[in-house]
Amino acid sequence: MEMIPVLTIQDVAEIDDSLATYLEQSEASLAIVIDKGGNILSQHGDLDVGDAVIVAALAAGSFAATKELARRIGEQEFSALYNQGATSHIFMQAVDEETILVTVFGGNTTIGLVRFYSTRASQQLAATMRNIRTRPKDTGFAFDANAVMQAGSLFKR
Amino acid sequence: MAIINYSSREIQFKIVYYGPALCGKTSNLIYIHQQVNRENKGDLVSLATAADRTLFFDFLPLNAAAIQGFKARFQLYTVPGQVMYNATRQLVLRSTDGIVFVADSQWDKMEENVESFRNLQENLAKQNTSLDQIPYVLQYNKRDMDNVAPRHYLEYLFNNRRVRMPSFEAVATTGKGVFPALNTIGRILLYKLSSQNGLKNQTPAPARQPAPSLA
Repeated sequence: MEMIPVLTIQDVAEIDDSLATYLEQSEASLAIVIDKGGNILSQHGDLDVGDAVIVAALAAGSFAATKELARRIGEQEFSALYNQGATSHIFMQAVDEETILVTVFGGNTTIGLVRFYSTRASQQLAATMRNIRTRPKDTGFAFDANAVMQAGSLFKR
Repeated sequence: MAIINYSSREIQFKIVYYGPALCGKTSNLIYIHQQVNRENKGDLVSLATAADRTLFFDFLPLNAAAIQGFKARFQLYTVPGQVMYNATRQLVLRSTDGIVFVADSQWDKMEENVESFRNLQENLAKQNTSLDQIPYVLQYNKRDMDNVAPRHYLEYLFNNRRVRMPSFEAVATTGKGVFPALNTIGRILLYKLSSQNGLKNQTPAPARQPAPSLA
């Protein structure tokens, strides 16, 4: 499957719209859409629940590891993973081959509700991702190579 | 593959530090995390054993200098170097934009270095890509040890492909060669993005339509 090279403002708005509806229905705290490399495509909800960048990287790693586990027992993959904590929980659902929907929720909702609405949201997101990936690749985006060279040291110490 | 997000004005890159066990991949990230200022880094996450051997990966998110209004975000990963974790290395290599190959310069580690470099190429091939397509730099680490191979020998072993890549001598625990390697792979990725998308002075593409109201 093609990777996502470019997310336009409209793409992110469509994804955010799906996530906002999903969070309202499921009463979850945070929803993050990531690719299987661990990159965040969009996020919505209470960002204080944790560093989304690190959650995304760990979720992608966890999903990838369990996919391998699934293969070893004859499954193609586990399409959903649920990790239960004392007060906060994480539910991860595969949207398509390259995208995962990560949901963080607490005691004010239930895994059943989250799972139900996550399936719906995943279907909407899958359609959005399909449109993004099959779009012609001419983005019009360009870096000026001189700007890269003149940037100096990339990382500030 | 790098992701360009017009909404947040960000470009995200994934860089993987690859190499044999105990060559200094994690030491690179530890030094980088210590040196980068607080506003431009996240937490360093290490999934390791009790003996501090990387079990799954290390992860460090960094923000780099903004270029043409776009923030460049780099996500640094290390792979576990031990031979038995090859399946895990394949997982971490997914969607990699750039690689820093870290070799242990000591003579008695040379066989492991060569095997790790070969393993990298095999794992990339399984993902239908190769070192011809993914930018990389070479870091010859542990130059402070007593019994190290000369640089030209390491170049002969690892930098003998059709296109020679930037290489750096390093002592990762003290920081020598760490930021030069990181800055170089970062610049290569940014430059590659400009070349790939046409080296013209174009303004970034606007949204295809005005963003719909979320109310």
